[in-house]
Amino acid sequence: MRHLSMTFVFITCFSFGQNKQLLYGFSEVPQSLLLNPGVKIKNSGFVGVPFLSHIHASAGTSGITVYDVFADNGVDFNTKLQNAVYKSKARNFVSINQQLELLSGGFAFGSSFEKNEYISFGIYQELDVIGYVPKDYAILGLEGNQNNINRVFDAGHLNASGEVISVFHLGYNKKVNNLFTYGVRGKIYSSIINVNSTKNQGSFVTVQGQNNIYTHIFDLDLEVKTSGLANIKDGEADAIYKDLKKRMLLGGDLGLGFDVGFTYQFDKQWTFDASILDVGFIRHTKDVENYSVRGRYAFEGINPFFSEAGAGQTADDYWSKVEDEFSAIFEADTTKTKFTTWRPVKWNASLNYAFGEKKEKDCNCIKGESEYQNAVGAQLYAINRPKQPQAALTLYYFRHIFKGLSAKTTYTIDSFSLYNLGLGLSANLGNINFYVMADNFLQYKNVYNAQSVSLQLGFNYIFKKK
Amino acid sequence: MIKQFVKYLFLAIIINSFYLSCTEPVDFDQINDFKTTPVVESSLIFFDEPATRFLDNGNEIATIQDFIQVDFFKSEFITDNLAKAEFVFETNNAINRGFQVRVAFLNNSGQTQHTFTVSIPPSTNSAPVTSRFTELFEGPSLVALKNTTKIVFTLNMLPGAAITNNTSGRISLKSKAVLYFNLESSSL
Repeated sequence: MRHLSMTFVFITCFSFGQNKQLLYGFSEVPQSLLLNPGVKIKNSGFVGVPFLSHIHASAGTSGITVYDVFADNGVDFNTKLQNAVYKSKARNFVSINQQLELLSGGFAFGSSFEKNEYISFGIYQELDVIGYVPKDYAILGLEGNQNNINRVFDAGHLNASGEVISVFHLGYNKKVNNLFTYGVRGKIYSSIINVNSTKNQGSFVTVQGQNNIYTHIFDLDLEVKTSGLANIKDGEADAIYKDLKKRMLLGGDLGLGFDVGFTYQFDKQWTFDASILDVGFIRHTKDVENYSVRGRYAFEGINPFFSEAGAGQTADDYWSKVEDEFSAIFEADTTKTKFTTWRPVKWNASLNYAFGEKKEKDCNCIKGESEYQNAVGAQLYAINRPKQPQAALTLYYFRHIFKGLSAKTTYTIDSFSLYNLGLGLSANLGNINFYVMADNFLQYKNVYNAQSVSLQLGFNYIFKKK
Repeated sequence: MIKQFVKYLFLAIIINSFYLSCTEPVDFDQINDFKTTPVVESSLIFFDEPATRFLDNGNEIATIQDFIQVDFFKSEFITDNLAKAEFVFETNNAINRGFQVRVAFLNNSGQTQHTFTVSIPPSTNSAPVTSRFTELFEGPSLVALKNTTKIVFTLNMLPGAAITNNTSGRISLKSKAVLYFNLESSSL
């Protein structure tokens, strides 16, 4: 139980969704290439500071918040918990996403005097968890079936998935001309741990019986698939560490994927860009263990005196048959069947309007490519999730504050809230680039009551364009 | 110089504001207060038979007895979390004889831990007579239930007018268990 509450603390301290609306299009930061491989690149190369070039954490809850359940306000905990369960809907969820870039870099090349092609590469680790509120299970657990005769409990409310992967990627970006830039990125995924249970079906219901007071109808088709867990479950600490390291470094269950994106400049001030990320799959073949609970059974009690099978069947035979039926359903079958998971595909698109040309006074930037000091725009984001896609709309304002310092503020509407304000900064001190971005500022007066929070920061060494 | 200073100050303020977010008091130890009291109802035993079912080649069957072996009540989940139970019986008798259902709970070594008897009154005019009986398990009887591994059911037909092929009416019994659970974080 304590571990569970610690997990809650962890989630709420570092919690937010996968949308990186602040980083998207923020081309001063090299990691914006990971959100659109076709971004217009502003440097001639970069090296990410190992382990510090991109730290991202986000978490969110739709519906209830941590504060709703754990507020220290004198209200009985169980009352708060019950209220939270009744208030939430089965489509409400908790999501956590974390990324840590281990290595990254990039460089421009090309035959012409202006290098117009760019290679970028890196390794990052990602943790992604989403769990929907298992509402009907919670109601059954809180109330039992006594007050819920005829209520159909939906077994599909159990819906969750989690994975830890490492991603090895290589991207290519080309500025075709002043109007059009595109990019692609190939990815190899190495799955370290995967647990998913997203295709559950069935129901449990108690109805008035024919022969007895009630008939209880179980109709279940549940499955939890795992890879990379079985070894951890019974391994020694040393062996587990070695195993995890191996699985991280391409020794895990492998998968392939790609990102594509482009930027199109209509005129000096208007640009449109879009990207699709993580179109890919992972094939789980190693250390796979799946558990399933399947079957249909209607139970209405037993007839100990006059068994249906007629003379010869004792009450105990009858009862044993009932017990067998129950264990056939509820005793989980363990299988080693290989499976494939799809990465959550993400879409981004934005329309951007730049204005306010920079005065020449203290400019030492490249001539010819006049830099606008401000930009406003709208960005759409969507991610494919087990139950339904989630989308977000962001309006933003971007500003070069002074040389080397740029800021972006965002206002986002998403599954979590309707009033998410974010702020991101990128500072270049000499060749060192530092950026930090976070959203949901309005919620910071009580972060536990935030529906979502997200934070990105990192350090890079930038080779400026000559 | 001043510009540089302002730049760093500005950065410092922004970065710090990311970390110095405020919180209203929360207490995660409240999870230790977690308690839920679901009430589960489950069908138990049933039968529904005509009077003639109690005849075997013209002889009355006065007693029918059988038993079942159950691990359910001794399971850890029940032992730890079952706070109270009720067995509820609903009977409907249109036969002009009274009946009794005796239920005995035995432990592993075959010793009787608890018994109760459901009385089913006779019908005097062939009209069905309904009755309801509830056995409550609390205190010692709940302990007895949690020791149970075998339940013996005995159906007795009480003395009265002889049953013949022409005796009319049916007797039926339906029943359910009402299980009151008390689940606390300490026992989960």
